[in-house]
Amino acid sequence: MSVLDTPRLYFSGEMVWDPIVTNNYGPDPTQKPPFAGFYDEDACIPLPPGDSVADFRQRAIDFVDPANWNPHGTHRSNFLAQISGVDTGGGLDWSDPVVGAPADFLGMLVDAEPYGTFSSQLFFDSMRFGVDGGYRIACPRSFRVMSRFVYFNRNSYNTVKAGVASVIWQTSFPKDAGLQLDAHDSPALQALATALEDPDVLGLTVRWNTYRTIYYDDPTITTNGGGQLSIDAQALIAKLNIPNSFQPNPARSLMVGVVGLWRQGEPACEPGDRALLAQGAPFQQPVGTAFTRVTNGALVVDLGNSVREVDAEVNKQQLDALSVCAMSADGTSVVQVLGTIPYSQYDREAYVATSGLVTLPLDPSQCDIATAAPLQIRSGANVYLAEAVVAPSNRLLRPAVMTQQNIYMDEGDAAVSTGIQVLDTGYATTPGIQVNRYSYDDASGAVTPVDTASTDSNGIAWFDVAAASAGAVDCYLFTVGTDAAAPATLDPQTTCYIYVRTLPADADIGAMEPTWENVFNNVLAKWNAMAPCMDNWLWLNDPAQVHAYGGILKKLTDSSAFEAYRYMPVVRDMTQGERTLLYAFLDAPLDPQSKPFKAVLAQAAPEGRSALPESTRLSRAMRA
Amino acid sequence: MIRLQATPPSSVDDAIAMLQVAIGIEFGTLPPYLYAKLSILPGTNEPAAGRLTAVINQEMIHLCLVCNVINALGGSPQIKPPSYPCTLGDIGPPGGDPLPIHLLPFNPDAMAQGMAIEEPEEVPPFPMLQSVALDGGAMTIGQYYGLVDAYLATLPASAWTENRNQISDAQFFPGQLFAVGDYADAHQAISQIVSEGEGAKDDPLDFQNELAHYYRFGEIFYDKVLTKIAQDPGYQWGPDPLGVDWSAAYPAIADPGQHDFTQDSPEAQAAQDSCNAAYSGMVDALQRAVNGEAGQLGAAVRQMFELRMAAMAALQIPLADGRSVAGPSFVYTPGSGAC
Repeated sequence: MSVLDTPRLYFSGEMVWDPIVTNNYGPDPTQKPPFAGFYDEDACIPLPPGDSVADFRQRAIDFVDPANWNPHGTHRSNFLAQISGVDTGGGLDWSDPVVGAPADFLGMLVDAEPYGTFSSQLFFDSMRFGVDGGYRIACPRSFRVMSRFVYFNRNSYNTVKAGVASVIWQTSFPKDAGLQLDAHDSPALQALATALEDPDVLGLTVRWNTYRTIYYDDPTITTNGGGQLSIDAQALIAKLNIPNSFQPNPARSLMVGVVGLWRQGEPACEPGDRALLAQGAPFQQPVGTAFTRVTNGALVVDLGNSVREVDAEVNKQQLDALSVCAMSADGTSVVQVLGTIPYSQYDREAYVATSGLVTLPLDPSQCDIATAAPLQIRSGANVYLAEAVVAPSNRLLRPAVMTQQNIYMDEGDAAVSTGIQVLDTGYATTPGIQVNRYSYDDASGAVTPVDTASTDSNGIAWFDVAAASAGAVDCYLFTVGTDAAAPATLDPQTTCYIYVRTLPADADIGAMEPTWENVFNNVLAKWNAMAPCMDNWLWLNDPAQVHAYGGILKKLTDSSAFEAYRYMPVVRDMTQGERTLLYAFLDAPLDPQSKPFKAVLAQAAPEGRSALPESTRLSRAMRA
Repeated sequence: MIRLQATPPSSVDDAIAMLQVAIGIEFGTLPPYLYAKLSILPGTNEPAAGRLTAVINQEMIHLCLVCNVINALGGSPQIKPPSYPCTLGDIGPPGGDPLPIHLLPFNPDAMAQGMAIEEPEEVPPFPMLQSVALDGGAMTIGQYYGLVDAYLATLPASAWTENRNQISDAQFFPGQLFAVGDYADAHQAISQIVSEGEGAKDDPLDFQNELAHYYRFGEIFYDKVLTKIAQDPGYQWGPDPLGVDWSAAYPAIADPGQHDFTQDSPEAQAAQDSCNAAYSGMVDALQRAVNGEAGQLGAAVRQMFELRMAAMAALQIPLADGRSVAGPSFVYTPGSGAC
């Protein structure tokens, strides 16, 4: 069972994104001003000595046109969605009483790898479908939501900022970790409740796809640079320049999703099942990676992240006749055409109705073939999607990250073990399969072998992940098989990967005298500058306020609350040394001479280090 | 229940005047709801706080939607903060007194007051209300809005102006706030307001399948989750408790606007001044926002956060009796705000 099995619920609507994006605009050597950035990130100066929070904030506003579209963001991201249909095995059904119930989600959007765009995640506390007291699935968080399989060629009509892309988001909820399901007289919820009793079912998986992202709440902006984008940007600048005001500018995506069963051997935060990989040059594939499963006398294909939108009405591209083909064992020749997918099954209406899931009925013999043979979706000789065949065994193996796509560490932490689940035709593979790890350097594009591990009895290969040198973000890629070629690059449509971000210990900061000056300059100033939304809750430049709310601050910044929605700082870049210094200040009596800061960071650097942390880690850590 | 008295409007000016009264009600509910919510001790009563927050947010949305309708009709919305206690235009039951609206800390009386304000027409204590509604007699808020809606449906398209001083959901309340440019938009706005406040007829759920305000207050008041059941009437209170701890609230006095703070400490007086300055600033910015200065909505929101911070401070400063504290008085002084 998986979300491609039944029973399942569909949901659809919009998703609202409100990240701070000021930290996305460090210098870009490939661009000329004004696109080259507005603060000197390479010189590690988001807030240079002698600069002030006010000056920095003004520069952030001034840079809205051309680029910095949300300096007053909050990171909050939420659903505007409802359950749009169910399938208990008989096809799409709108008559179930749970249809129309709200889908509620509120999370904090954070990137782990700031220089890349392949690793967004949502920190949250709970997700809910339905209402308390009524039809309801209440889901307390066990795993943060991860984004994977970013498809950068999704929208040919809207290429503004991230509008061109779509993303798969996924998390899972163990049935023994507070998951509550109140079915009442809903057959779909009753079926889910019954299925959860199966020992093979771990809980529920929620997967959704966001696409067609618009900015400035203006769907007429479809390209970057000038025109209406500049007009809207100037209007926002005028608002931002109103003194003492709060002017968020959230972006919005359309979204479709599915709630289904999470079974043994399936990753929690990225799709399991069999992958039909995108074909073509990275970032330019004409169709995005899909997932498929033979189940209940049919082949179910998840095209939720696959077919492009081509116009303002988000109509789907009509591809040539799509044949679903069973291939020879080595994947090189067509053995049997299992069927075709007509446009009516993936056009806009169908896409929204079934969240991109397409069902192709098969007869029993076809089921047998489809279960074992490599699958492709193609139009004649033109292959859009293909299952990877691992040589020399010709097995249909693929790696998937179990739970920890993005790992956060502190300098000095002990290594952690992360599991790569190897799936064989969609199920946990046998022991002894080799998994290969490579490091990936985002700047140079270099891919370097690191080590290998073999799968255990659960089909999982375990790798130790060590804390990187202070401030680094490491990226690892994974392949399966002794003869596997190293990935040419990190292509989010086809590559299995994890990020590891390590914060420096900052022991020297932790050892500082806990004066207000030290605390502000070394801990609070960067957030005060980068996150004006914090003014809504606490004046970070005011020692009296910071001290008065010390108890709350400690609770919100405690490392034990790292996964929580309200954890601060949202971008999770407080080092151990910074925490030590802040807590020492909060625990001591407040010096009555402490005054709010205006201009900051003018003092000389302590011996042996700059007045500010190194730029790389700082800018990386401060990105959203 | 708030009972309003009105006759069917016969002109656009009549409709605008009735909508102006509605603004007073939508705005006037905010301070009592905020006072109750702010007085909850931080980190406690999360289900109750969540329900109150949802109601407060929707009241702010309702306020903006009514302003959008007025603007689309060519009017100029006016935000006129009341002094508490007040009646919000209630005429009271036949032979009875109007419903007094107090600023009450988080307690059963505050929740009962919320239920009384939001009480739907389907459970009225006076069954003749429906029949007198069109006679210019007393009516619920929902019926009152219905009277306006019925008139607006008769207006020609030329009565409406698109894009006039509208507040959309571009920055705040995504998906719940929209511009009004014609009758269809206005009808949607009024339906949303009535549905979210009172719920659908014979159903506690609003048009988005969430609980209407009356029932959210009810869940807190009874400390029971309103739960779907198979038999009539379709729902019952409980059995699951909501998880209300009435003791987890600041010992805040009621109606601080009537309290004489001159006998209290300078800190307590300063805290009230801060609250009132932020509140006044919020009102002033909001007044400008709903009359065409869209950027002022962000200033109003900013002042709302200032008010929250000022209230948190005020609620921790003992009054002269040494036992109680005061939340914000919500005293408006024109032009005294911080923005």
